[in-house]
Amino acid sequence: MNTRKNFIDIDHYQLNKNKNVVCGDVFLSKKIKEEGKIIAVLSDGLGSGIKANVLATMTASMALNFTSNNSPIQHTAEIISNTLPIDSERQISYATFTIIDIDYDSETKIINYDNPDFLLLRNQKFIPIPENSIEINILGKNKKMYSFDFKIQKEDRIIVFTDGVSQSGIGNTNMAFGWGIDNVKIFIIDLINKYKFISSHDLAKKIVNQANNNDILKPRDDISCAVLYFREPRKLLICTGPPFNKFDDNKLGSIIKKYNGKVIISGGTTSQIVSRLFNKEIHVGLTLDHSGLPPIAKMEGIELVTEGILTLGKVSEILQNINTTEVNGEGAAVEIIKNIFNNDIIEFVVGTKINNAHQDPNLPVELEIRRNVVKKIIKILEEKFLKEINLHFI
Amino acid sequence: MEKKIEIKICIGTLCYVMGGSELQLLAEHLPEKFKKRVDIIGSTCLDYCLDQEKYGKAPFVEINGEVMAEASINKVIDYLIKKY
Ligand code: FES
Repeated sequence: MNTRKNFIDIDHYQLNKNKNVVCGDVFLSKKIKEEGKIIAVLSDGLGSGIKANVLATMTASMALNFTSNNSPIQHTAEIISNTLPIDSERQISYATFTIIDIDYDSETKIINYDNPDFLLLRNQKFIPIPENSIEINILGKNKKMYSFDFKIQKEDRIIVFTDGVSQSGIGNTNMAFGWGIDNVKIFIIDLINKYKFISSHDLAKKIVNQANNNDILKPRDDISCAVLYFREPRKLLICTGPPFNKFDDNKLGSIIKKYNGKVIISGGTTSQIVSRLFNKEIHVGLTLDHSGLPPIAKMEGIELVTEGILTLGKVSEILQNINTTEVNGEGAAVEIIKNIFNNDIIEFVVGTKINNAHQDPNLPVELEIRRNVVKKIIKILEEKFLKEINLHFI
Repeated sequence: MEKKIEIKICIGTLCYVMGGSELQLLAEHLPEKFKKRVDIIGSTCLDYCLDQEKYGKAPFVEINGEVMAEASINKVIDYLIKKY
């Protein structure tokens, strides 16, 4: 596995055109672990609503797959445009796209077909990147797309959005031609000056919400923004379960002590071990919340202390059911998930000692084996949320 | 001042699934006369569940160090009334 020194925090945010139930813009991203590659695509389908969504989904997924297979971009663009279903009213088929392709060595290629220009933000400034134009043949017509090559650096951000952002507010007295890229840039610089380390999710959301404000809270078009932020990875350690061997309790303690990141302990017995080793008391709260999970506890130096198996089961269930990094609700599982989303590299240390009391067939619920629950969580985090995961058994 | 009665409620996994979750509401149900005399705290697994032949069935509560098996809000209150 290629592990890059820096991590890419990728996220997006979107709002649908007023009253539409689906978005006509689609953002997809994929991490190819073996090659250390990251590919992301933003596509804006013609029109809005379901039809646009179908066009954009087809475009984005084809672009993602072709690019993962290293097929030449011109070819990809032509195939996409020539396969899209033709709109019966307008007799054209059309969806814009921006493809971002970053390899393990930070070499970055961006292709833009009819989306607003992407922005590269470095040291609080936008860096212009020279463009190459590429001619493509779409349904017998010559069209142009643009490609950009550069090397991405630590703390860089790539920001892409659909014209729902740049054209928001069209016709307002103060912005007859819409918000415009230059003003979007000023808005972003202001934000970055205020929040230097703002996450991709928060930055994308703020941009989209401002565009929505420009449209006076009734979006005239689908509004989407995606951000790729190349930064020092934030690390989170989740320890769950007592070590198989009692002698290894100390090992668990030293892993936690040496860790340069946040630490969560999920498991009562595990937290007792740590409490004993570090001589720190566990304070168990007795607050019943709506999650139905055992309450959160506190221990000095530890970010979060929760019960183990029920809580992790819930974490896995919630992760299964969400598709964005917006999580609402309360309780131990939601807190764990929020912490996961705020970090890039998630490390699990799983103790493999079996709790015999949990194996009683008369229990009202089946208590899963910890290892299996953790494996499920990891699979979702890697595949759906592109997190980098390390797993150790102890 | 009279020493407080300490009630430890186990919120370990096993006790929790065996009905311990409800015990978290104990404070609200205590009769007036005990409200000021009792300290309720939560605890991770108290280890009684590992030997249920000896201690009885989960959920467990400890009242001034004495274990109570199959604890429920009513059972705890009855015990307090009888004993204190
Ligand atoms: S879970 Fe309550 S005694 Fe073990």
